[in-house]
Amino acid sequence: MKTIRYALGALIVGAGMAQAQDTTLSYMSWDPEQLEIEQEAIAAFEAANPGVKIETSAMPPKDYWPRLSALAASGDLPDVFMMSSGFVKEWAAADNLADLSGVVSDDELANYYEGAASIGVIDGKRVAFPQNWVAPVLYYNIDMFEAAGVPLPTTDWTWDDFLSAAKALTIDENGDGTVDVWGMSLYGRYAHIEPWVFRNGGRYLNADETALELNDEAVNALKFLTDLVNVEGVAPQPQEMEGVRQQDIMPLGMAAMWVDGSWNIANTRSIVGDDFRWGIAQVPVGPDATDDNVAAYAWADMLAVGKDSDNTALAWAFIQHMVGEGRDASDFLGGKVPAYIDIATSEGWLESDKMPANKGLLLEIGAQNVYTGFSKNWSGWRGYDSTGSSGMNGELDEVLNGRKPLDEAIDAFVLYGNDVLSR
Amino acid sequence: MTANLHPNRGNARVTLIVLYAVLLIYAVVTLMPFIWMLITSFKEPRDVFKLPPSFVPKLLFTDHPFENYVEIWTQRDFVIYFRNSAFVSFMAAVGQVFATSLGGYAFARLDLPGKNWLFALVLVTAFVPVEVTIIPEFLIMRGLGWVDTFLPLIVPSFLVGAFGTFMLREYFASLPRDYGDAAYVDGATPFQIFWKVYLPLAQPALVAVFVIAFINNWDELLRPLLFLNSNELKTVPLGLMSFVSQYEASWTLLMAGSVISTLPLIIIYMLTQKYVLQGFVGGGVKG
Amino acid sequence: MRSSRKVRITALLFLAPTIIGLLVFRLVPIGWSFALSFYDWKIFDTPTFVGFGNYAHIFSSPTAYKVFLNSAYFSAIYVPGSIGLALVLAVLLNNGLRSSAFFRGAFFLPYITSTVAVTLAWRWIFSTKFGLLNNFLGWLGVDNAPAWLADPTWALPAVALVSIWKDVGFYMILLLAGLQTIDPTLYEAARVDGAKPIQRFFKVTVPLLTRSLFFVMILALVRSTQTFEITYALTNGGPNRASTTLAFYVYQNAFVEFEMGYAAALSYIMCFILGLFTLTNFYFRKRWVHDG
Repeated sequence: MKTIRYALGALIVGAGMAQAQDTTLSYMSWDPEQLEIEQEAIAAFEAANPGVKIETSAMPPKDYWPRLSALAASGDLPDVFMMSSGFVKEWAAADNLADLSGVVSDDELANYYEGAASIGVIDGKRVAFPQNWVAPVLYYNIDMFEAAGVPLPTTDWTWDDFLSAAKALTIDENGDGTVDVWGMSLYGRYAHIEPWVFRNGGRYLNADETALELNDEAVNALKFLTDLVNVEGVAPQPQEMEGVRQQDIMPLGMAAMWVDGSWNIANTRSIVGDDFRWGIAQVPVGPDATDDNVAAYAWADMLAVGKDSDNTALAWAFIQHMVGEGRDASDFLGGKVPAYIDIATSEGWLESDKMPANKGLLLEIGAQNVYTGFSKNWSGWRGYDSTGSSGMNGELDEVLNGRKPLDEAIDAFVLYGNDVLSR
Repeated sequence: MTANLHPNRGNARVTLIVLYAVLLIYAVVTLMPFIWMLITSFKEPRDVFKLPPSFVPKLLFTDHPFENYVEIWTQRDFVIYFRNSAFVSFMAAVGQVFATSLGGYAFARLDLPGKNWLFALVLVTAFVPVEVTIIPEFLIMRGLGWVDTFLPLIVPSFLVGAFGTFMLREYFASLPRDYGDAAYVDGATPFQIFWKVYLPLAQPALVAVFVIAFINNWDELLRPLLFLNSNELKTVPLGLMSFVSQYEASWTLLMAGSVISTLPLIIIYMLTQKYVLQGFVGGGVKG
Repeated sequence: MRSSRKVRITALLFLAPTIIGLLVFRLVPIGWSFALSFYDWKIFDTPTFVGFGNYAHIFSSPTAYKVFLNSAYFSAIYVPGSIGLALVLAVLLNNGLRSSAFFRGAFFLPYITSTVAVTLAWRWIFSTKFGLLNNFLGWLGVDNAPAWLADPTWALPAVALVSIWKDVGFYMILLLAGLQTIDPTLYEAARVDGAKPIQRFFKVTVPLLTRSLFFVMILALVRSTQTFEITYALTNGGPNRASTTLAFYVYQNAFVEFEMGYAAALSYIMCFILGLFTLTNFYFRKRWVHDG
């Protein structure tokens, strides 16, 4: 069944490409596990395009970017490679990505989530195309809510509703003065903080993304979040939880709620098993939000074509196959939402027989006004991967651990971030 | 130092017991992470980060105890990666023995104007972090047409190595000069003195250089990552990457893979430890 | 045979691989990247010449200052710590007992084990609530044990400790080999003179081991400036850069922010300091190393 679908997809896309004889297309991915799954779809593309061979390679992001950069430096970029929302602006500015504007038709575009598809358009040129997108959501432990008699989160929850729920769910079971189960688990990284900031109308950057200039909405959101730990006492200090991976805290039953990327659905499923029931909700909209400034935080994993590729048309056909009709819903692991609407809305992806039972909620987020918050040097000022404990992350950790007041931390990371941005 | 453990001493037994206690405690501490890694390689994924942690290698009590190991050997190309790693590490280690025995001997025993500056240069260049030289290195290898071959991982080892040169320089310098002088009087050429007199004496040190070079090359990640392309050429560290995905890692497989990839090093250590230990016995030949 | 032409030619031939290798695979990449330290270069973009811009920026950057201090602190813990422990272990094991082979192997094992894999175990050992260490301290009656890896005071020492644990077996083996060169009759003589074990250690063992100690010291110094994997897996350089050392900072700049020019400038400042330090050490070598 699945194989037929792959083959069918490849035939549709491959039509008209048959003249490409004995061509090798190189394809590089940042997800080795995903590549294993993709092999079937790749084989189908090869079968539908006789003479075309796809040469694949994959390594995790930490190793992917150094290698891809080295290949860019030597002019050996692969024909097709994964491109992140975080790096696409810089890679486009460095003129490494082929302009696909000419080959992507409006009819074709209509098949994809608009918010996701727009991320790959830089300065009016389409330089990358989304395969899937992800968005942070509020994870919650249904059993804990029911035990505490708290109504489950809804889309029109306010921050006050959230806070009173978090208070009711922060429990000292044996009355010894130490909390046993927390209402909320909070961490200072982008996926934990930005969803609240953006849904309060907050922005970190100025209009042309050249400097950090936090607006009041952003500062208010940061205040609300850090107060959850320092004033309200409904979330633990990160240092108290050191040694427990932050993505395991809620799945291990140590906290009732937690906000993180939808990709964590996979890990949460694996750790929770059948221990308790859980669901996801949208992150509540903040008190300062207006229709104009409120945004959902989401971003896309994309595919791009190397600027020097000799086979742009074939590469685009391959991308089309790999993001759209050539794929099966089960190819998209955990909470990665297919950019191709027909697959995302299929029962195969919605998996309503598994937890979270309301996975389709993610699709509602995709229909909203999406903001990615990325700028050039983002990994420098925000902190990502091996810079994960510096920049804004490092300063927010100090606040969450009660070692620094918020205003001092903001001053510090704005100063540092603007230095990074001015390079 | 240990002559105090002489058996007919009154407090020797007490000293011995204290010595063993100290060593055992430290051995337990030092082996703990390794044992943890071994146990994890026999767990199911969802139990890896369970808290408080469990020390039960759960899979051992099922009908598929070696599941993680079997998956690595059967579903991935690990046999190929292993062979590649073994080949590259072996060749690079041989290269290091070749280059640094010549270099170390010359630095220790042969006169050449400026050789001390040259030695200082060998040492100081070892301080430059590989991260900043790797891209130029990559461009050089590409210019030589060596990308996606084993050459960039092997050839440099046949030419220069700071650790080996330093170690062998110290070693050769510690050997008595009289032997060489005697051979010189007998009419031996400088090369013959090296080849017939000193090199055989240095055998243990050469083995030590070989083992350390083998270990270091076995673990090397950044260079293979940039210089190799084809799956058929991948080394073990590159192969282990396939257990890490965009957001998560398969820790049970990663641990099993790490255990397997440590085994050859343990075997090499055991086979050669006698030599490694004598590797520095410069004065040993004196007595 | 001191300086005949034959010897010089032999020396040149012997050093030919070293010279060629040094030139092609060391000095060319180093010179190249040194030149790049005067450029603003995102690896995937075209370089722009900025003169001393990167260096000027480093000298005025509080972050770089902090990182340099961290590195010095790290080396100050790691170098004496690893050599001291290695020396103690080597002396304890230099006894000809059969069990020594087991202990040697056990202590050497961390050196050959995958860093990422074992560091994960260390994260658990240091864990605030569920960690082995804090549970042990709690059992001893210590109530307010720190959150080791998340505490600015303890994160860097913790990384240094794990690094010592990882490498100490290697240095131990090198020192053990050196110990075996010491003539046992020297101990006997010292004992006859009435020297206690501690005295024998300082009067006989240490002086005769200086050659090995010097070698191991330089080695440890080099390694202390290259720590990356342990930092990455243990603290990620945090909290708030408290455990970020130069090698890690260079990596961040080179492969996360891709500021290769800046990373190169950092590296060459570090090399200048270390080079000076090492050469000074060699200069003073004769003062304390007894060349047999």
